[in-house]
Amino acid sequence: MRELLHLSSAPHDRGSLSTKTVMRDVLLALLPTAVLGIWAHGWYAGFIMLVSIAAAVVTEYLFNLATKRGNTIGDASAVVTGLLLALTLPAQVPVYVPVLGAVFAILVVKCLFGGLGHNIMNPALAGRSFLLISFGASMTGYTLDGVSAATPLAEAAAGRSVDVVAMALGNTSGVIGSSALGLLAGGIYLLLSRGITWEIPTATIGSAAAFLALFGGHGLDPAYLVPQLLGGGLLMAAFFMATDPVTGPSTTKGQLLYGALTGVLIGLFRVKGNAADSTTYAVLLANLFGNLIDELFIPVPYGFRIPKEFKKAIPKPVSILLVITLIAGAVLSGVYVTTSDRIARNSERANQAAYRSVVPGAESFRSLELAQETAGTTQIQKVLAGLDGSGQTLGYAIAVHNSQSYDGGLTLVVGILPDGTVTGIHFTELHETAGMGMRCGEPEFTRQFENVNVPAFALGKGTAGGHGTIDSVAGATVSSTAVVDAVNAALAYFAANLK
Amino acid sequence: MGDLTFRGGVHPEQRKELTAGKPFFPLRPEGELVFLTNQHIGKPAEPVVAKGDYVLAGQRIAQASGFVSANIVSSVSGTVKAVEPRPTAAGGMAQAIVIVPDGKDTLAQGIGQPTDYKRLSNQEILDRVKNAGIVGMGGAGFPTHVKLTVKEPEKIRYVIANGAECEPYITCDDQLMRSHPAEIAEGLEILLRLFPQARGVVCIENNKPQAIAAMENACRGHEKISVLPLKTKYPQGGERALISVVAGRHLRLGMLPADAGCVVDNVATVRAVYRAVCFNEPLMERGVTVSGDSVENPGNFWVKIGTGSQELVDACGGWKEGLEPEKILSGGPMMGIALSGLDVPVCKNNNAITALPVDPVAEEPVTACLRCGRCNRVCPLGLSPQLMQVAAQRRDYERYEKRLFGLECIACGCCSYICPAKRPLMQLFKVTKAEIMAAKKK
Repeated sequence: MRELLHLSSAPHDRGSLSTKTVMRDVLLALLPTAVLGIWAHGWYAGFIMLVSIAAAVVTEYLFNLATKRGNTIGDASAVVTGLLLALTLPAQVPVYVPVLGAVFAILVVKCLFGGLGHNIMNPALAGRSFLLISFGASMTGYTLDGVSAATPLAEAAAGRSVDVVAMALGNTSGVIGSSALGLLAGGIYLLLSRGITWEIPTATIGSAAAFLALFGGHGLDPAYLVPQLLGGGLLMAAFFMATDPVTGPSTTKGQLLYGALTGVLIGLFRVKGNAADSTTYAVLLANLFGNLIDELFIPVPYGFRIPKEFKKAIPKPVSILLVITLIAGAVLSGVYVTTSDRIARNSERANQAAYRSVVPGAESFRSLELAQETAGTTQIQKVLAGLDGSGQTLGYAIAVHNSQSYDGGLTLVVGILPDGTVTGIHFTELHETAGMGMRCGEPEFTRQFENVNVPAFALGKGTAGGHGTIDSVAGATVSSTAVVDAVNAALAYFAANLK
Repeated sequence: MGDLTFRGGVHPEQRKELTAGKPFFPLRPEGELVFLTNQHIGKPAEPVVAKGDYVLAGQRIAQASGFVSANIVSSVSGTVKAVEPRPTAAGGMAQAIVIVPDGKDTLAQGIGQPTDYKRLSNQEILDRVKNAGIVGMGGAGFPTHVKLTVKEPEKIRYVIANGAECEPYITCDDQLMRSHPAEIAEGLEILLRLFPQARGVVCIENNKPQAIAAMENACRGHEKISVLPLKTKYPQGGERALISVVAGRHLRLGMLPADAGCVVDNVATVRAVYRAVCFNEPLMERGVTVSGDSVENPGNFWVKIGTGSQELVDACGGWKEGLEPEKILSGGPMMGIALSGLDVPVCKNNNAITALPVDPVAEEPVTACLRCGRCNRVCPLGLSPQLMQVAAQRRDYERYEKRLFGLECIACGCCSYICPAKRPLMQLFKVTKAEIMAAKKK
């Protein structure tokens, strides 16, 4: 017999389930989605996943090291966060995007709040929203095969038909982990392996479907509802994000309410807001209520009543939070209502000024119908014909948006005479780096486009203007290129549709 | 219809195959026997013998010292070596009577005389149970005569013979039901005499088909007794789980089974009642399972109370080469007590010794709570161990007691068992309960 026996309190047996196996099950469940993501978006998508996972794990390791805590990367929760984050990114993001997102998710959202089990928001989604705010253009520049295109959800919202098979396989414009089939398979695996329970996914999908059917404006039309339910990260949220135990409630009734809250918020944001990121913010908002909801549903054993003093105490934090939310919401919407008209008027006035400056002498403008095709990162937004007093076309004003600028995209209006001569350009949206990209808006640069008749402009160095060669703004090649590409897109559109 | 069960619970690995079906091997003690005076719930018994006295088997050596207390008899004939403190399973020391057997097992007078219980009055039955020093043999050790002394006996609707044996590894109740089913049925019939309105129910988990068959066979002809197979799930053998299944009622803290119209006794206790009432035989022997992967030849033993644990292990052939125990338990892995050594004797409520070569508790590190809520789902009382844990750690005892009903915890350990983060929840709850109760007494 050994000299010393182990002494401990009962029970002396432990179930086979451990934090590690729970996390391993989540990773297994994400496998089909990850594989289909690589299949649809190429090896670069796989590279993004690896980078994101590595950044998450290294961040947690270094944080533990710096704060002299025990090492916790063994529980694999950082791997899960890294993979979840990567699966919610567009396939073409630059490599620093997942790195920064993973660092933010692990360091700020998870570690600084006390590590696994203490974060109040889902780290992966909080990391994603951080990236959405910081790198708006690359985070919403959804592409497929390198070509930017509207996501299936945006297509469906616009009333166009959607290829459901492509959505199931994830072979659509969108984030890496958008395969409905993969997500469903993973979700069912988690349900069967008891990694998650049915309450949250069912309530989330059910309430989102109900909300969209009631308020989506398309009723029960499957052409609208099916893509809404398969796309836009709803399945990802229902099976993998809202079910994150740390940020959600642990009671059965609480989970039902929490799932319903998430689903309604998703529906609300989709119907009334920007469809692309409704899910992210819906889950993050619901996260904030996760622990409070449990307070409402603490089970009461048979034969017991909650004492009075506690009955009163329960809804207090909830009601305070609710009041604050309502006041903030009212103030925000008040500001929006009172200013939206003026903002619209101002922007219309600015646009009119822009049209006039590029088609001199025009007395009125007539909107022309847009030809359908738009390819690449540039997008023709508006085409107008400038008319003189007798109704004769003096020239065209073409508004072009290019998302591939240095920061957030730029929009400019190009004036083109009927013979193809570019009269000049005028920016309506430009927020590049001050002193560098912003100098694209200065006359010194824009003057180079005035009164030139060439099939296309090119970016050059040290040549005088007039031959269609544009001097780049020093130190702002990306911005300059974006401008030239935008103008060329307008010229190409003119040549194809108006000449 | 599936077999009956309760809400929550867990499914630990059974490991009953190590000893299931192995008949009781009668163990003759070689060395000294130790009779702890606190081997029951309540006040320790008062020794009535002194060093040097010669005692017979069945002779009373300690006297119940209050209402909730029990007599203790010697299980052998021999000489009192000492009356002194000896180690207990729980880790402390307690007054004990040490007897060196003479190997003759001479019985005290009057023991073994057959009596027809139908001629005895209820009080005479209770007296015999009390004199025999019978206590709950399933583990609790609550004096049986106290349990049977109910204010309004006619309000009892069910007398439950607990043969669930939901604890892993242990098979001594299973074996007793296989080998002595008629005595258990007769014992139950005696108890039903005390409670005229009651029906007898033998509850057995459905992983013991032979025991169920044997009991069903033995209960044929006993009109008021039936056998109720239950789903195999821990803690199915808990008093509350049984009452919720049989009577459909839930107990709350401070309530006794009698308040729900039930009396619950382990099958071994029921048999001991039969022996005491019909043969005037005090509680001297019991079945003990010695099992676990460390044990060379696991088995069931018919053991004289007071026998040293070391003798039991020796009777099994000692430890397996290379698999020496890291942990030895008095009882099974779910509710047993970890022993610091084999210097403790077999008590009336000892049903097993389990020796594990690997301690599952030490195997995996404790990590942070994920708030996954699995503990909430397995709690047979419907409590919220996850929230109780937070309140206990913050020492928010008011919330713990009044909002989370933490004092209701029966310490079954399902929460600790299921927790993926391996948090010792039950241990925390035991400590918290003790602290709250101590503060209340002040």
